[in-house]
Order: sequence, then C-alpha cells, then structure tokens
Amino acid sequence: MPTDDLGLDKTFAALGVIEAAQVAARFEQVFAHFDAQLKTVHEESTWKQFRDAWLGRKSGVLTQVTDNWLKPATPELKRVVGQKLNELRAYVELHIEARRASIESGTEQAALARERVDLSLPGVIHPIGSRHLIRQVFQEAEDIFFSIGFSIVEGPEIETPYYNFEALNIPEFHPVRDDMDTFYIDLPKGAPTPLLLRTHTSPMQIRTMEKQEPPVRVIVPGKVYRRDNPDATHSFMFHQVEGLAVDTDITFCDFTGTIEYFVKQFFGPGVKTRFRPSYFPFTEPSVEFDVSCIFCGGSGAAASGGVCSKCKGAGWIELFGAGMVDPAVYGFVNYDAKKVSGFAFGMGIDRLAMLKYGIDDLQVFFQNDVRFLKQFP
Amino acid sequence: MKVVYNWLKDFVGVTAPPQELASRLALSGTNIAGVENGAHGAVLDAEVGSNRPDCLGHYGIAREVGAIYKLPLKHVSPKPPESAAKASDAIKVEIQAPELCGRFTARVVRDVKIEPSPKWLKDRLEASGVASISNVVDISNYVMLELGHAIHAFDYDKVRDHKIVVRQSKPKEQIRTLDGVERQLDPGICMICDGDGSRAIGIGGIMGGAETEISFSTKNVLIECAWFEPVPIRRAARFLKLHTEASTRFGRGADLEMAELASRRCAELILELAGGELLAGVADVYPGKRAPKKIQLTRKELLRVMGADVPDKQIEASLTALGFASVRIDHNRGAEGSLLATWECTQPSWRGEVEREIDLIEEVARIYGLDKFPPRLPAARQGAARLPHHEAETRLRERLVGLGYREIVTTPHVAEERDALFRPAGVSPARLANPLSEEAGVLKSTGIVTMAAALEWNLNHGQRNARLFEIGRHYRLEGNQSIETSVLTIGGTGEAREKGLYDSGREFSFADLKGDLDAVGELAGGLCWSADSSRDGAHAAPTWLHAARRAQVSLDLAPTGGQDSFFDRQGGAAFLGEAGELARRVADRLKLRQAIFLAELGLDPLYAAIEALKNSRRYQPLPRFPAVERDFSLLLADGITFAQISESIRSLGIPEIGAIEAVDLFRGKNVPAGKYSLLIRVTFQSREATLMDAQVNHFAGKIISILEHRHGAQLRAS
Ligand SMILES: [Zn+2]
Repeated sequence: MPTDDLGLDKTFAALGVIEAAQVAARFEQVFAHFDAQLKTVHEESTWKQFRDAWLGRKSGVLTQVTDNWLKPATPELKRVVGQKLNELRAYVELHIEARRASIESGTEQAALARERVDLSLPGVIHPIGSRHLIRQVFQEAEDIFFSIGFSIVEGPEIETPYYNFEALNIPEFHPVRDDMDTFYIDLPKGAPTPLLLRTHTSPMQIRTMEKQEPPVRVIVPGKVYRRDNPDATHSFMFHQVEGLAVDTDITFCDFTGTIEYFVKQFFGPGVKTRFRPSYFPFTEPSVEFDVSCIFCGGSGAAASGGVCSKCKGAGWIELFGAGMVDPAVYGFVNYDAKKVSGFAFGMGIDRLAMLKYGIDDLQVFFQNDVRFLKQFP
Repeated sequence: MKVVYNWLKDFVGVTAPPQELASRLALSGTNIAGVENGAHGAVLDAEVGSNRPDCLGHYGIAREVGAIYKLPLKHVSPKPPESAAKASDAIKVEIQAPELCGRFTARVVRDVKIEPSPKWLKDRLEASGVASISNVVDISNYVMLELGHAIHAFDYDKVRDHKIVVRQSKPKEQIRTLDGVERQLDPGICMICDGDGSRAIGIGGIMGGAETEISFSTKNVLIECAWFEPVPIRRAARFLKLHTEASTRFGRGADLEMAELASRRCAELILELAGGELLAGVADVYPGKRAPKKIQLTRKELLRVMGADVPDKQIEASLTALGFASVRIDHNRGAEGSLLATWECTQPSWRGEVEREIDLIEEVARIYGLDKFPPRLPAARQGAARLPHHEAETRLRERLVGLGYREIVTTPHVAEERDALFRPAGVSPARLANPLSEEAGVLKSTGIVTMAAALEWNLNHGQRNARLFEIGRHYRLEGNQSIETSVLTIGGTGEAREKGLYDSGREFSFADLKGDLDAVGELAGGLCWSADSSRDGAHAAPTWLHAARRAQVSLDLAPTGGQDSFFDRQGGAAFLGEAGELARRVADRLKLRQAIFLAELGLDPLYAAIEALKNSRRYQPLPRFPAVERDFSLLLADGITFAQISESIRSLGIPEIGAIEAVDLFRGKNVPAGKYSLLIRVTFQSREATLMDAQVNHFAGKIISILEHRHGAQLRAS
C-alpha cells in the first residue's frame, strides 16, 4: 500500500512546512489516504497488510510520522504535530480495529454457512465389540456375591456320578435322577468310573468342601447339561451359579437374607420374594424361591387386559431351588454336621437373563446372531 | 396329582375357597400348578414332590390341609360286613421274595356284579383324569386316588389253585401285561404268580397281567393290596420303561400299614356298588413289619438350623396334625419356650422319609410358615477371592471388545463329522454315550467347530460382517480321563472396516487377524509366529487352514520389553495355538462362500503370562535425547522375511538401534517378478547424547552392507 507521495520519509523542514496550517494540511492528506485505503480492505489477508502498513513498529505510517515529522520538528511546531499525531493514531487504531471486527464476523458467517457440521451425520464409527449377555449376567451375579464375601470357584463340566449324584445324597435309582436326564460320555471298556456331563453346578459343593475346612463361602458359575429336547425354554446346555455357605453359625435366616439381598440387587429393591418349601436330596429344609412377576408387578394381570402370560396370572415367578445343606452331605466331606450348618442354591443364569431382559426364546443365546449380540453392548 | 376340592371335604372340613387353599398348600410345601373350575367343581393340580408319596392321595393332602388350618382329619375306618367263611381258607399267599415284597394282603369278594360305575364315582374319576371301566376296576382306582395306595383286583377264579406266590423273576421270563404288551423281564423283578408259582399273573407294584384281569363276566374278585420295596420298583420300572400310577407310588415308598386299610376300603366299596359277599378277615403275609421309629426334636437344634424360634404350641400342633405324636420328654416339661425343650416323636408309617431331627425341623418350619423366619445378611468372616485368572481374563475380554469382537456362547455338542474336520490328529474326542441326535453326538474337541458354526449362522442370516470371540473350553479324552482345556477362539469374516462417509471399506485379512492377536499378545509379552510347525516342533500346521495363510502361534517366553516385541525373535516359546484363513476345501464343505479367518489359543499359558508380566513390568525412563529415523527401501527376493531382515540388523549389535519397523511393502509395477520391495524404518536412539549425522550414516552403512551381503538386498532410491 503505497504511501510515498505523502512525504513521510522527509522531515517537515525538508518538505518546507513551517506553520501550523501546513502541518494540518499534511495530516489531512494522511487521513484522506487512510480513508481511501480502508475502503479497499475487506478480507483478513489484506487487513493484515493494511494494519502493518499503518501500525507496523518498524516502518508503519505512524512510526514514520513519529520519526520523521514529530521528532525533528521545530519547537514551535512540535506541539501541533504531536496533537495531530495523537488524533491520527486514535483514528487509525479505531478504524483498523473496527474493520477487523467487521471482517471477522463477515468471514465467520460465510465460514459458518460453509463449514457448519451436520450433526445428524454419524461420526467415524469404530467397530466396538460386546460381551455376551450370559457373561454380563454372570458378571453381575459374581459381583453381587463377591461384595458380600463369596469367593468364586470353577469346576469340571465332565464329572463322575459320585460328585454329581452320590455325594449329594442322590443314590442310584433315586427318583430325583429321573428329573435330571443325564448325558454320559462314551468311555473305553473297563473305565474305572463312568463320566457324565454335570446336571448342575452342585458337584463343586463337594469338591470345595473336600478341599477346605469351614468357613466356606463360594459361588460357582458354569455350564450344566440336561438331556432335554431344545425349545424356547429348554436347552440341553444352560448356565448356573451355585452358591454354598457353611460355617458354625449359618441359619435359615442368613440363607433367606442372602438370597433376598441378591435378588433386590439384581432386579431392583421393589421386587417381592417368597420361599416355598420344596424337596432336594442335598438340602433340608429345601425351598423354591419365587419373585413377584417382573412383567405384571405381581398383579397377575397383563397391561393389555387379561392374564399375565409370563406368570400365568399367579403374580409369582419361580426362580430357583435352594435350601439348608442336608446333614447327610457333610458326611461325604468329613464335616461335623453337629457343629456346622450352611445353605446352598443353584440359580439358572439364562432364566435370570430372560426375565430381566424380556427374552422369550432361550435358543437366541446360543445362536449368536450378531443382531442379537449388538443389542447388549 | 389332581386334587378334587369336594373330595378333600370328605376328610377335612375346609372352608377356604380353592384359590386360597392352593396358595396355602404351595407355601407349606405342596405346590399347586393351577386351579381349574370344571363340571365337578374345583380341581387343584398338585405337584407332589418325590419325597411325599403320602400326598399322592386325597387323604394325605387332607392331612396337610388339616395341619395348615388346624382342622381335624376325619379318619378312614371302613367296617364292611363279612360272611362266616374266612378269606384265609379261600386264598393262600406265599412271599418267597421278602426283599422285594414287604407285605401282601388278599381279600375275596364273592358273587359280585360287574357293571358300569354309578355317576358320582365316574364324576370323581373323570375330575381326576381317570377313565371309567367297570365298577370293580374303578373302585380300585378310586381307592388309590383316595388313600394313595395302589390296589390290584384279580378275577379270583382265574387264579390257579387260589394261591399267590410272590417271587423274583426268572431269566428270560415273559409276561403279557394288562395293556396287552408282551414284556421281557430282567432278573430281580418282583413277580406275582399263581398256583405252583410258575405262571406270572402280574409284575408286583407295576402292572397286573392280562390273563387274570377283571372282565364283565367276573363273578368273584381277589383284592391284592401289597407293599413293595421302592428301589427295586424304580429299577424295574426304568428297565421295563413302564411307569404307572402303581410304580410311582411304590417307587417312592408306600405306607406298609395302609395296605390292609386300603384293601378294606376297597371291599367296602365293592359291597356297596357291586354287591356280593366279603369273606371274613384278610390273608395277610407281612414279613416287612417294622416297629415305629422314635425321633427327637430339640429346640436347640431348631434354633441352630433355623435361626429363629417357633412357639411350643405351634411345634406340637403341627407335628401332631401330621401324625408324629410329639411328646415333651425333657426335665423342663412345664416350661413353655424352654431352650432345653425336647420332643419325642413317632414316625408315622406314611412318612418313611422322616427319620432325623432335621426332617422334623423342616416339618415344623414349613407348617409354621417360612416367611416367619426373619431374613438377615450374615457377616463375612474372611476376604473373598476372585478366580485366579479373573484379572487376566477381564483384560483379555476388554481388549477383544475394544478391537471390535463380539463374545459368543455356544453349546459344545456338535456333529462328529464337523468335529473331525478340525480335530488334530491323534486326539480322541469325548463322544456321548446317549446323545439326543447325531448332530449333537460329540463334545467339541476344539473351539473352532462352534466358532465356524456361529459364523455360518450369521452368513446364512444376512450378516456378512462378523468378528466373534469365545472364551470357553474344549473337551478331549485321554484314555479314561476327560480333559477340559480353556481356550480363546476367534473368528472374523467380511469387512474389517465398513465403507462409510470418511473411509473406504476393507475386507478382513490375515493381517487383521495377526494384528488383533498381537494386540492381545501384547498383554502377555508378545507372540511368536511360525509358518509350518510350532517353535517347539510338537505341533504340525493344521490342514484345515489355508497353506499360504496360516501360522502357529507361541508365547514369547523371553520378553525383552523391546519395542519390536510384536515380531518374531529368538528365545523360548510356549505353544498357544494356530491362526489363519480357513482352507477353501473346508469352507466349500461348510458352504461358506467368503474368506473366513479363525484362531484358537490356549488360555492357561496366556493367562499365566499376562499375570506374570503384570507383576514384573517396570518403568523405563524416557530418553532425553532425540531419536533419528532412517528409511531403507529394499528390493528382496520372495521368501526373505521381515524377521530375517530384522534379525540381521539386530545381529550388528548396535545399541543405538531401537525399533525396526516395516512401513511399506509392494510387488509389481517397477518391481521385477520374484522380488518385492520392502521399506524398512530404523529408529536410532542414544541414551548418552544426541546422535550426529556422521554416526547415523555409519550405522546405516553397516545395515546396508549386512543386508546386501546376507540377503542379496538391493537398496532402492527412496
Ligand atoms: Zn405376571
């Protein structure tokens, strides 16, 4: 931006300026020049050049005026030059700043229109995986029981009849065996013991007590197998969490308190519970544990009218079997049934998951369709 | 067991409506699956536990109802009129097998008129779901449903010599039962025979024979009301695959004393409905007679097990109502609620399974109400422990999830043919002796079988992009032993990156599988990859993987913490498993039409390494001097591996050499056939000083020289 013709590089003496009126005229030229240039400045890049031309420290117009016009001025003119310079400085700074602001808002608006992100478009999608729902429910159950002092142990899925049945007080030909149709492994002739797929996680009760003295407080997550034809509510493989607590002072009240604690953590504090007497050879007293129906809130009536299909109108849903460890079981592990007592339970994880998440077909767990897996990130 | 509400009222004056009764029964141990209101009033569907054979009749249920509502039980005591002639003269009974048959009673009714049953009898049977046949047969069913004891009626005149012999079955013995089926017997089954004992006329406690069956021409009836040992009955029923109302009742342990009573009740009803004349008395052979057992209940034990008290009156009322005749026998007898209270109870004949104090505690508690024992949370007395590999498994799982893998859970039962596709040579699978189907006849001997099936399911259901993992077990046999091994199985197919707004799509490749496994392996100090057999030479490359894109994966047992620990190095290695692309031959067989990548790694060594490394990791101070990178563009013959190049550079022993990375690779275009171009980036780093150009040039010269010399590498202008 040329400013040569303004005579900025010369002193007033050299320019022949000797009186105030001339000084004023000279400054008028500078003002006019500034105004003319300002009109051409509409973009950020030219604004920067413009600013530097006028305010630049080394050779900006104002610096030149100071160095060439003010400093060498005669004492008579110095005051008026100084005054004019101040006016010029104020004017220049004001307009440069104003122009900056107007350019900025102008560009921003154009830029906003052009660069505005479309928030309805997705971001970059990183494929994140997921844990299987059964694993998630296992984890939740483990965490709840861990928080009240239960250790976690695991055991073999292929078991001997001794651990799966006999040591649990279920001798051969016991009627309960008829309810637990069992898969057997095809073994070479002469095998010392038959092998089977465990029908419950209860064998780990025995294995745990064989290994350790009371107090015992464990849960056993794992797969179990029954020879049932698969349908929406049956599978020949499903998942259980076994629980066992044995000590010198464990009572039925401790048992129901523990189970209630778990269920309220798992389903929420509003759930109601009840214990119905039942029968298992390895617990006594034995119970079936029911919770108020999660779907109808225990009313037995469906929201759409009619009977709730999940609890068949009962308002209760059977969750799992449990009870106080039968003293006969202690005999198999050399515990003194007179001194210790305890409780045990075996809950179906698949069933808990189905109830909590409203899944009506057990088979979806094991088909592993990606569309199912995605639903539980 | 169908419980007819009005029938119950014959024995107990219950007034509670059926729904309420059902709920009270359920809460005291007789679960009621449902209540139906039919033509004959309410019918409760009772789920009677296998320990409660006494509740397989209305009389037993009525006893429960009486105990719950504190109502008296109306006892059954039939007194049918008898003739002068004695039953014991008309029928002889001999028990040769007292180990199978503990009691056999026989009554004889002469000159009956076999007719259809009256309406009330038909109605009750119908409400119970039993078809009506004729008065005498219906009566035997009726008494069974009423008193819970199975009865069999013979045509007296068809019983040879009017003699009954109870004995064990003989080898290869056969009998045609009531249902018309010719049955082959197993030795040790209880047979009811006639005459000299050679002809079987019934399978004791299971089903009568066809030849002595009651028909409309029957004139004289022989009522059998016996008691059979439960275990042999269950064994026989299972062997014969013949589960009847009788075998259910005897198999669970019937009431020895009830045998005579039920027979009398049956005779009473026959006289009433079919007429005739009842011979006096009963032919009763009773080798199994036993004295009633005494059982003690103490408050101390009740409190120890239940954790809360039950008032004396409740204890006594419940036990008495259930037939246990409780008597306080301690020295504090007068003191109600005494902590020393002891009751002596007599086991009733119908409750054979109640033998111990704990059994009485259960009886008291269930009638009192389990809800009356206040729940409390017991204090933990010791710290709880997670599974030993909990943290390693959690880190492994979170890493896989972060890498985009979805966890699956599979059923291990697979088809033999499928398992064989992936099973390593020499491995014996765990086959099932009694599979449900051939499709599920063997337990997977490798997780690959079910992983391939899960990918197959997804491809067949329109999901062509899948990255899956399973943390599970595979199952094998070693001799008579089963071996369960924890494995991580991985499967990937379709697009590794889907085409989107910002990126182009890319198919999953071997490099994805390798990169992902290396990311997992990083937790364990890095993996070693080898092409054809494992580092330790013990594992041959699996043939189900593509010969050009497969690898044996081992654990690097000498992790140096160097930055190139992702790459193959010298050092010890523990075999983990294999990885690669599914061979086309196998993929075609499974009708999988796109490239499938699979891997399986043993988890025990992996977890051990993750745990060990976690505890041995130490901080490395950050370098204070800048690193310098140099690229080397090499032209190499096919077959020379990056690992060889890397090892050669390392062999120079220059401590300033840090990372060695492969940053670009291509074939074709300006690269002659049989060769490929590899761009290597070497990072130089000194811990003592900033490296000078001259030093780096010197190192670079040595690198070029060794690569030219050892591998015939040509340096290209880069
Ligand atoms: Zn409901």
